[in-house]
Formats: sequence, C-alpha cells, structure tokens
Amino acid sequence: MRSNYKVNASAQFQVLSIDQVEEIHRASLEVLERVGVEVYYDEALALLKAAGAHVKGNRARIPSSLVEKALRTAPSRVTLSTRDGKRSVRLEAHNIYFGTGSDCPFILDSYTGVRRKVTKDDVCKAATICDALPNIDFVMSLGLVSDVPSLSSDRHQFEAMLMNTVKPIVFTAHDLEGYNDIVDMAAASVGGLEELQANPTICLYTEPISPLKHAKESVTKLLRTAQMRIPVVYTPCVMAGATVPATLAGALVTGNAESLSGMVIHQLKNPGAPFIIGGVYTIMDMQSTIFSYGAPEFTLLHAAFADLSHYYRKPIFSTAGCTDSKIVDEQAAIEAALSCLVAAQSGANLIHDVGYIEYGSTGSYEMLVMSDEIIGMVKRIVRGIEVNDDTLAVDVIDRVGPGGHFLSEEHTLRHFKNQTWFPRLIDRNRYDQWAAMGATTMGERTKAKVQEILATHKPLAVPDAGLKAIEGIVSRADAKYKE
Amino acid sequence: MAFFEEIASAVIAGDPAKSQELVRKALDGGAKPLDIVDQGLMAGMNVVGERFKRCDMFVPEVLMAAKAMNMGLDLVKPHLDSASRAGTGTVVIGTVKGDLHDIGKNLVAMLLESKGLNVVNLGVDVSAETFVNAVKQHSPQIVGMSALLTTTMLVMKDVIDALKEANLRDSVKVMIGGAPVTQDFATEIGADGYAPDAVTATDLAKGLLG
Repeated sequence: MRSNYKVNASAQFQVLSIDQVEEIHRASLEVLERVGVEVYYDEALALLKAAGAHVKGNRARIPSSLVEKALRTAPSRVTLSTRDGKRSVRLEAHNIYFGTGSDCPFILDSYTGVRRKVTKDDVCKAATICDALPNIDFVMSLGLVSDVPSLSSDRHQFEAMLMNTVKPIVFTAHDLEGYNDIVDMAAASVGGLEELQANPTICLYTEPISPLKHAKESVTKLLRTAQMRIPVVYTPCVMAGATVPATLAGALVTGNAESLSGMVIHQLKNPGAPFIIGGVYTIMDMQSTIFSYGAPEFTLLHAAFADLSHYYRKPIFSTAGCTDSKIVDEQAAIEAALSCLVAAQSGANLIHDVGYIEYGSTGSYEMLVMSDEIIGMVKRIVRGIEVNDDTLAVDVIDRVGPGGHFLSEEHTLRHFKNQTWFPRLIDRNRYDQWAAMGATTMGERTKAKVQEILATHKPLAVPDAGLKAIEGIVSRADAKYKE
Repeated sequence: MAFFEEIASAVIAGDPAKSQELVRKALDGGAKPLDIVDQGLMAGMNVVGERFKRCDMFVPEVLMAAKAMNMGLDLVKPHLDSASRAGTGTVVIGTVKGDLHDIGKNLVAMLLESKGLNVVNLGVDVSAETFVNAVKQHSPQIVGMSALLTTTMLVMKDVIDALKEANLRDSVKVMIGGAPVTQDFATEIGADGYAPDAVTATDLAKGLLG
C-alpha cells in the first residue's frame, strides 16, 4: 500500500500562483469600486443601482460585495450539446475544447488562393469542415456573410452553420431581434425552446468595449440571455498598451474588471443563468498598430486568464490556433502551434479562433485543418504519461530480457495505439516514399485535405420538422429589412 | 538656428516640458513665431514621421512626440497672425452612429493637430445629420470617419449620401478608417481616401489638402 502518492494525470502548467491570482482579483475589485464602468443601457443601470452600486449618469461604481455575490450565483459549469442531443462540451474545471472564431470580413479562398469577402457558401463550407474535424468541438462562423441583406446577415450566418454541423454553435447577433430569431431557429432544430434550454446547443458571443464600457447593443443581448437561461460568453478584447495598460498584469486587471462587471449585470437580471467568462487578451503591436493574434504575450495572457477563471471556478472562453500571417505559412504554423499548446496546458475550456489568419481579419480553411492536426499533437502532450504497474512494464522487460525486442509482445499490441498519437497531415514517411507520393509540403497536403472533406463529408441534416420554421424565420427577417 | 534644432530634438525625444521651455525661451528671445513652428516643432515632427516609417520609432513614442509638438504649438499660436494660421486647413472627424469606439480616431485627431491642422472632433456615435451640420458650421476641407464594427462601418455611406443631399460633398474630401475598413470599401462607398493607421492618415490628409 502506497501512502501520500501524488499523480499528475496530465502535463501541468500554471503561469500565476494563487497569491498572484488573488492580487489581480483584488486589483480588479478595486478598479470596479474606484473607477467603475460606463453602462449605456438604462435597465442595467437600474439593476446596478437597486443592488447598491453607485450610479452617476452612465458611470456605475460597483462595490466588491456585488461582484462576490455574482461569483456565488453564476454556475461553475456550463454544458453545450450537439444538435442530436449529446452533451459533448462540458465547460468545467480544466476540460479543453477547440473551435473556430467568428465574423472575419475576408476569407482566403482555398481554391483560388485569393483573399476576398465572405459569402454564405463560405460559412456553410467552414461549418462542414468543422463538422468533419475530430479535434474541433464547437463552431463559430469563421466569416461575416456579405452576400445577403446586411441587416439580416446574422440569421443567414447562423442558418449556414446550423445546416452544416451538429456541433454546438457560438454565434453573434446584430441586435436583440437578431438574437431572438436565432434562438427560435435553434429551438426549431432541436424540437422546441424547452429542449434548447435543457440542453443548449448554442451560446451567444458578445463583448464590452475596452476599457470599461458596456454598450447598449451588448447589454440588451446580455440581459436577454440571462432571462432565457441560454449560455452567453462575454468577451473583453483588450490591447495592452492601447486600450489597457502596457503591463500584462494591468491588462489582466482591466479585462477582468470588464468581465466581472458584465457578470454582475447578467446575474442581477437572473441569478444562476449560465455565463462564460470570455476574453481576447493581447498587445497592440506598436509598429503596425494591429491587435496581435500571434504574439507570445497573447499566449501568455490567455494562460494567466485561465488561471484566474480556475480560481473563480467559472467556465472560460479563450483563444488559440490563429496567426498574424497573411497566408498559411511557416509563421502561421509556429504561432498556431504555440498558442494551441499553451491554451491546452492552461486548461482553458472553450478555445476559439482556430482558423484565423491576418490578425483575425481573414479566415482560412487550411489554417483550420492544419490547426486540427496541431491540436491532435497538443492533446497527446497534455494527456501526459500514465504510471502504474502495467505501464511500468517490468514483467515484460523481464520476459524479453537483454538484446530482445518488444515488437511482437502482447503488451505492445495492447498499448501502442493508446500511447501514441497518429498523424494525418504531418509526414513521417521515409524519403523515397515521400518523393514517390509527390514530394508534397505540409501546405499542399492540408489543401488536399480541405478539398477532400468538402467533396465527401455530409453533415447530419436538420429534421424536416424544423427546416420550414428555420427558413421562415430567415425569409421573414429579409422581408422586414427590405421595407 | 541651433535653438530651433533643440526644439526639434525635444519633439523627437517626446519631451513636452522641454519643448515648452525651449519655445518660451525662443519667443522671449524674439524668434519669429512661424520659424519656431516650421524650423523647430514641425521639423522635429517630420523626422518622427520618417523614423516611424523606417520602423525606428514606435506608436507610443510618436504620440509623445506629437504631445511635445502640440504643447509647444499652444504657446506659439497666440503669436501667429491670422494669415499664417489660415493656410493649415480644418478637419471634422468622428466615429459614426452606433459605434462607441474612439481610441484610434482620437489618435488620428491628435496626429493631425500635430501637423498643424485645425481638428473638430465630434466624438462617438455621430449621426449623419451632425456630420452635415459640422461641415456647414466649420467649412472643413476634410471629413474623417471611423468605425470599428463591421455593422457600423456601413453608416459611413449614409454620411456621404447625406453630404451629397446637402450639396456639400464637392466642398470636402472624405477619408475613412477603422479595423474592418479597406481601400476597396472606401472606393465602393465613394470616399476619397482610406488609411490603415494614424500616421498614414496624417500623410493622407496632407495629400488630400494638396
């Protein structure tokens, strides 16, 4: 019998100590009490005031006790389901799930190599690819649909995803009406609103304006999600050195204050409603002024932000699998690999923006498919090394003895598949075979894989009963905005 | 002469206190106000622009230089006669309706001021009507619009249409910017220019003024 034996069931990684996390937490509380936030929606200001916040005009200074109360009422876990009823995404503790990002104005066309505006068909294809990829667990649009009426484009974008994947969808909506329509569409796809609320297949993405402002459009949607008890991810996008301090700790404090104040508003509306702490934390590049999606500080900040949310025991929405490169090249591979590895090691739950290139302005199917391969490798690393009598294998070592081999051992046969990750795009062929197969680059193989998926993969269809309702909602929205 | 170079150096170093101190000394010593601007403050800012383009300077350094320039300029302004102030040009600038993002737009405003332009900053969530009224009131050469959201950038076209309707479109140049905005979009909605960042925007404004 062993005593006081400690197991690392996976690779361990933490940027901040508990003391440091608590210091950031307390500084965020101090910012909310001393500086407060600006809120541009009367109902939210009234909720804050009634609960004891100091409200003057649009500025609300929030006492720490209100934040602590929200942290008590917000759930510590949120589950998302597939359209066919599997509760596949359990956002809790250190569970990791990867998915795409939303709303890039451009797509790097996989067939022509041209960067162009996004069509509805592009979003259908992106969702189809996500549906097929084993390491993509949830879906965002990747692109902003631009070939439909702009005021109802959110419904078209959601329809494009809903029809082409069973996986949970994180979506954006232009406004409250767009949100309501999309909830109705999702409800129709699963057989009703009650079923959708019991096993949510969707989650709204919305964001405050950094630093410390909550705009009307965001807050109206935030309050509605609370009322509906359908998950929301509220995501500050902070630029260290520009919208928040240049110091990474100061960036975390400001972004966290934005998240926590969003959570307070949400929980005041309906205590216990599902809320996911979001955040895209990075630096502004001081030469180009871009919001960097590939900087090492981006990766480090997200890992620290994961430490913070683990301290809060709240689900977290993080970022990885993206690049500042304009094409899917060596830079893209480096940046995606590092961010995916660190995000996974940090135990962030819902990790989005897989497939973004050009600092989030362009989506790429190749980037998405290449990142799926990266995530496969990453998951193997994070899974760590299992140590027990069977895996220590002393009996097998004894049986084979000095000078023997393990290739024909039953122990090897039993274990090699569960111990080893098998690549699909990474090439490990011997030289001659690689040459005989066309001497391809990683990029060429990735592109071929994209086209193979699009030619062969057939996502599970939405049941006929829901189809009519969904089409009706989209065409009614089109008609309404045409007037 | 050496004195103007010192002023320029204070601007390049991004030292507002030093810049003001030197400008005050120059004015007390009887230097021509216009020379202080052209050979001192503006000369320094031109070097800053060049260095930024060569990647020798970063945005926070450029902004500190602009601050040093603007604080020096504040001291000189009362001494400039109206003739030498008139030629610089006016820009009306704002973030369009529905959008509360203003950091990038404010950077552009600050750098435009550092180039000696008179900037009327309308703030955020600015309606087409407010833009039109500001053009009537201030008779600018340039109207600048900003948007960060893909949904609000569409409002830029409404502003251009409103300017047309008020018969003001031909009297101003329109420049636009913001994260989702592109040259293609600028062309599509009939803007005269697009700039991806604040430093390029000041060059663009200078170019549009001819």
